[in-house]
Amino acid sequence: MNKLFSRWLPCLTLAAWSAVLLYFYFSGRITAFLHPTFRPYVVIAGFVLAAMALVFLAFPADADCCSSAECGHGLSRLAAGKILTFLVLLLPVTAAAMFSPDGFGKETILNRGIIMDASALRPRGADKMPPSAPELPLPVNENFPSAVAPAPAAGTAAAAPPDYLQRTPDGRIVAEVLDLLYAAQDNALRADFEGKAIELVGQLMPDTGNNGSGKRFKAVRMFMTCCAADARPVATLVECDTLPDLPEMTWIKITGTATFPIENGRRLAVLKAEKIEKSSPPEESMLF
Amino acid sequence: MPWFTFRFDNFAYSFLSVLLEGVPFLLLGSLISGLVDVFVSPARIQSLLPKNRAAAIGVSGLLGLIFPMCECGSVIVIRRFLKKGLPLSSAVTYMLAAPIVSPLVAISTFAAFKGQNPMVMTSLRLSIGYLIACAVGFIVLRLPAAAILRGEPSAVRKRAGLSVSTAPAEASPDFATLAAASSLPKKLLLAIQSATADFLDVAFYLIIGTAVASVFNTAVNQEVILPLATDPLLAIISMMGLAAILALCSTTDAFIAASFTTFPFASKLAFLLFGPVFDLKLFWLYGVLFKRRFIVALGLGLFIVIALISWRVSAMQF
Repeated sequence: MNKLFSRWLPCLTLAAWSAVLLYFYFSGRITAFLHPTFRPYVVIAGFVLAAMALVFLAFPADADCCSSAECGHGLSRLAAGKILTFLVLLLPVTAAAMFSPDGFGKETILNRGIIMDASALRPRGADKMPPSAPELPLPVNENFPSAVAPAPAAGTAAAAPPDYLQRTPDGRIVAEVLDLLYAAQDNALRADFEGKAIELVGQLMPDTGNNGSGKRFKAVRMFMTCCAADARPVATLVECDTLPDLPEMTWIKITGTATFPIENGRRLAVLKAEKIEKSSPPEESMLF
Repeated sequence: MPWFTFRFDNFAYSFLSVLLEGVPFLLLGSLISGLVDVFVSPARIQSLLPKNRAAAIGVSGLLGLIFPMCECGSVIVIRRFLKKGLPLSSAVTYMLAAPIVSPLVAISTFAAFKGQNPMVMTSLRLSIGYLIACAVGFIVLRLPAAAILRGEPSAVRKRAGLSVSTAPAEASPDFATLAAASSLPKKLLLAIQSATADFLDVAFYLIIGTAVASVFNTAVNQEVILPLATDPLLAIISMMGLAAILALCSTTDAFIAASFTTFPFASKLAFLLFGPVFDLKLFWLYGVLFKRRFIVALGLGLFIVIALISWRVSAMQF
């Protein structure tokens, strides 16, 4: 029994944790869970835990996992308690790793409240500053770096927007939800989007607050600061002739024209959709 | 919208993301703890601080500036320091100050509050965090260790957690003697085994704390707390409650606090002061070391003091 607690269970625990960390990193699923800043730490920790497991395998300990003199938790004095300790160490992590999706369901999104106003994201003091595009934290899509952005379609070169805007091969601006939310708050940034052809990817959610005509829905993305636990849903309104017949939270690609009407004394971002189609999730499902 | 809607997949996603973020830091703390265990003698620890206990508390509160550690790691590190003979008052001061009084926290707070008095927020956070940690240190100085610590900090330390293969058959070695007499490779092996013991021991509490935080984080409708933002005192109390529930890492919590634009400045300060020293995760992690009664008293005391200080700050119109 001693060997179980002093060698095999610690070794198994370390190996399992290492496997979870390395799996999430190398499978790419980590992108849905952590901000890029924290991702390298996961792979380093995964390898260190694997090394620690190997050390334990090669140089087994010779006594109980938890000596009564110093163990932190009170479960260690009985064999059943020790088993329970290792179950707590192993089961929740492996169960979560096996069954966790790569995004929140609509319940959590609704519980967190969908943000449709960039002032809820932007520091309050920034309102006192004169609006100017360079001061705003414009998100960058790494899939479309501006240096290699496709050339605008023929005939649109004269009205070509500044370099930082990403474009599809047929000249539409590739926008994120946050771009439109910030544009609704900033005159200079709005000029870059208003009336322009836009392509945007988001998750479909119904809208009840700004939907008098019954032709609007929300395109939702999650805005992450550090990890998914702190992610907050942000959304822009989409207006269309016929609401898409798709389940809630389906990933959709919307092509249309960006508008910024003032409704109830507040400027909103409303994307007037020409085409809505089911889409695969973007490579980075989170916005940063 | 009901105030509580639990789903396992949402819970698992949040739970796993916190663990993926927190485990590397927990591991770092464990490795430092293991190295301290083997390579730093009790005499060396004692010589780091002034002999005067009060001065030692003051210096301990600043150690985070040169030895930064987030709250998950600091619990493990001070457990090791205590076993090495660091006075309890100094250890508690370091434990409470290090997650706040650190260059990483200063930089992240300043960056997160750009446009919201970043210098004032950063200065208040670090200075008040330091003073509160020292105040708790002085209180602990007057209390008997038996009233605070869970187990007797043994003068001659037995093997912590996982026992080492080099231990004699009776399995009660004086670890300091064993480590001192070992070769460098053997010392490294001992350090890794010690770190493993610490890691598994504290991970147990991290999992429980993260699970509780994740239930609140995903299942509770957060609109329930938003109306509280309009009253200064209620805003402070609700933001402190939120900090306790979200159990964020102190190196990054400023970005979350800054995003609560409807809440006043003082309530965000309260969030940033309370979260790093007491939250659901830490409630369990502190259980590694402290008696439950002390943890509850510490939590209540910190809550009241930080709420009162923040309320006073709210009158200053930042």
